[in-house]
Amino acid sequence: MAKEVKTQNLEMAKSLRQVTQDEWYVPGHRTCQGCGPALVYKLVSKATGPNSIFLGPTGCMYVANTSYLCAPFAYPWMHTQITNGGAVASGIEAAYQVLIRKGKYKGELPNIVVMAGDGGAIDIGLQAMSAMMYRGHDALFIMYDNESYANTGIQTSPATPYGANTTFTPPGKAVPEGKVLFPKDAPQLVIGAHPAVHYVATASVAYPVDLINKVRKALNYKGPAFLHLHAPCPKGWLFDAAKTVEIAKLAIQTGMWVNYEWEKGEYTYQHTPKEYKPVKEYMKHQYRFNHLTDAHLAKMQAFIDAKLKAPGKPIAVPVQGPREQA
Amino acid sequence: MAKEVFYSGCAAAAYGAKDARVEVISSYPIRPYTGIMMELSKLVANGELDAEFVHGEGEHAQVSIAYGASAAGARAYTGSSGVGVAYAMECYSPAAGGRLPCQMAIADRALDPPGDFGSEHTDVMGARDQGWIMGWAESPQEVYDNTIMYYRIGEDHRVQLPQFCCQDGYFVSHIPGRMKLEDQKAVDEFLPPYNPPHPLDPNRPVNHGPQIFPDQGSAINVQRAVAFDEIESVIEEVVKDYNKQFGRKYSPFVDEYMMDDAEIAFFLQGAHARTARFAVNHLRKQGVKVGVARLRFMRPFPTKAIQESLSKVKAVGTVETSTSYGGQSRGGNIIHETRSALYPLDKRPIVTSFMAGLGGEIVTLNEFYAMAKVLSDAVKTGKANDSYWMNFEKEVLDTHK
Repeated sequence: MAKEVKTQNLEMAKSLRQVTQDEWYVPGHRTCQGCGPALVYKLVSKATGPNSIFLGPTGCMYVANTSYLCAPFAYPWMHTQITNGGAVASGIEAAYQVLIRKGKYKGELPNIVVMAGDGGAIDIGLQAMSAMMYRGHDALFIMYDNESYANTGIQTSPATPYGANTTFTPPGKAVPEGKVLFPKDAPQLVIGAHPAVHYVATASVAYPVDLINKVRKALNYKGPAFLHLHAPCPKGWLFDAAKTVEIAKLAIQTGMWVNYEWEKGEYTYQHTPKEYKPVKEYMKHQYRFNHLTDAHLAKMQAFIDAKLKAPGKPIAVPVQGPREQA
Repeated sequence: MAKEVFYSGCAAAAYGAKDARVEVISSYPIRPYTGIMMELSKLVANGELDAEFVHGEGEHAQVSIAYGASAAGARAYTGSSGVGVAYAMECYSPAAGGRLPCQMAIADRALDPPGDFGSEHTDVMGARDQGWIMGWAESPQEVYDNTIMYYRIGEDHRVQLPQFCCQDGYFVSHIPGRMKLEDQKAVDEFLPPYNPPHPLDPNRPVNHGPQIFPDQGSAINVQRAVAFDEIESVIEEVVKDYNKQFGRKYSPFVDEYMMDDAEIAFFLQGAHARTARFAVNHLRKQGVKVGVARLRFMRPFPTKAIQESLSKVKAVGTVETSTSYGGQSRGGNIIHETRSALYPLDKRPIVTSFMAGLGGEIVTLNEFYAMAKVLSDAVKTGKANDSYWMNFEKEVLDTHK
């Protein structure tokens, strides 16, 4: 599918000073104070510039962003169903391929960017995302991860961490830890099975320059790319709305989040701390983990320890599942 | 040059799409419509059609890909059958509400359970209220013609709506018929390139489908309703032009056979109308004044044309070929809107319905004779049931079986 219709080479920024002051994600939205996904949107928009078409599967960044007549997008934007971000992007990319080939569209292939939440990316939207990756459409699929179905009132998703209190996983006498499952590993879903994909990366709002450069690198590749972006949610995770970036940094310092790139089969890691802090240091600031006992925290620590042996790769020794006897 | 061919409905649809110069095609296999995509994939592979052929991962994706392409400014084509049509249900309203005039070919098929390949209109009739244009062809020729006409109707700026271009599974999709492929140049003259008013183009940024507040909803609904007000005159215009350019004789909405002096009538859509006309020929020899009115569009439902046609007779039997379990008639769908269309008339016929051709069963000549008997009796007694399940109720047993 990817043909020589894109010659752009978006430059890498060395510091925030080199990033444009122009905004294509402009004021007018109704996201919460301290919203991580809104910050993601702002940074991604700075990275892509205006020759872009953004797609917004249903989620916070659809509902809170796009009040009719005051949507904050200065580039073409289209709502998709939460189910079909990857499929609608495929159709748009296919349309541009044929329109450019026939001379009906004179410009370069625009950056086609899907901005899906965790549900729209790896739960109900997984099929369409995977098919877009498989068919090799020249589009970027971004999963902004606020670790729950936040727009509908914080329900568990496959990205929600073990032990989180969500409105579908309330802790109680019979289920003291709340969420009993460990999350899906989103980048692995893409890396593991899609021959047309050459670039997958994770990034965090804690490191905006890194995030912007990864978006640009992804767009410079011809063909599909996938980014998993950590986007803390004060409302859903129940922490002080002034501390979004601080929480994101703590996630990296404790190994709850790892920034890395996977480029044509090679992993490189960014922002790895010299020594990881215990996960408790990250969890204690969030009321969603407030009910957990030391045994639960130990279980979480064991999961993270297993993951950190080779971040971004399958866990060599799986941790105990919810239906297994201790 | 126009060319005489002997094509199935599937091939006819594929060549209709080719001559309409579709630009993005999204496929997924399910019988019986699959034949359309098999044919189109060959045309693309051979270089006879310059289009992107996207292998969707399901019908839900097929429709999503098609309306995405349509939003970006390409003429898009997809299709399905049976449970596949049902699987894509979420995507129909976004396509129609987004005013994205992609086309979906339907070769209809019964829904599960049990697994049944046979033709039944139930699949896409379930999507009739999603804001798409919808109508059935009765022959490969009409499939080809409708494919081209529907694009012009749907892409008209007064309309801007997607289209279900339907044909009966197997009866039309898999039985070849003599037909004419028109000259490409003439088709190009009839069907101008797709020119959407607000494509997704970075040079002219627009937002499609932002979230609204409940009090803004009705204004948007009314715009979709207004499109359906406009559409009847657009259809009349397009069908007239097509007839003129290619020498066809389609009436826009209701195709009549021996209706002028008829006392009773079969009212139906799709290929069973052809059997109905054979039955009418036979019944006329026996002195039964019967006619056939064939519905060419289910959406828009052509109330005025139906009133004009069916008010000529004393009793009408809708032949359903789809189910509406628990509905008013305890049978099918067409009777409900037909009765509703005729209700304002001072002199209106008795309307009953016949549940026939379900699961892909052939509606036999004998069944049509049995229906005619019920309708003639209704004229005499002034009464009829709401519905008759053919071969299951004593009034409509096919004694020849």
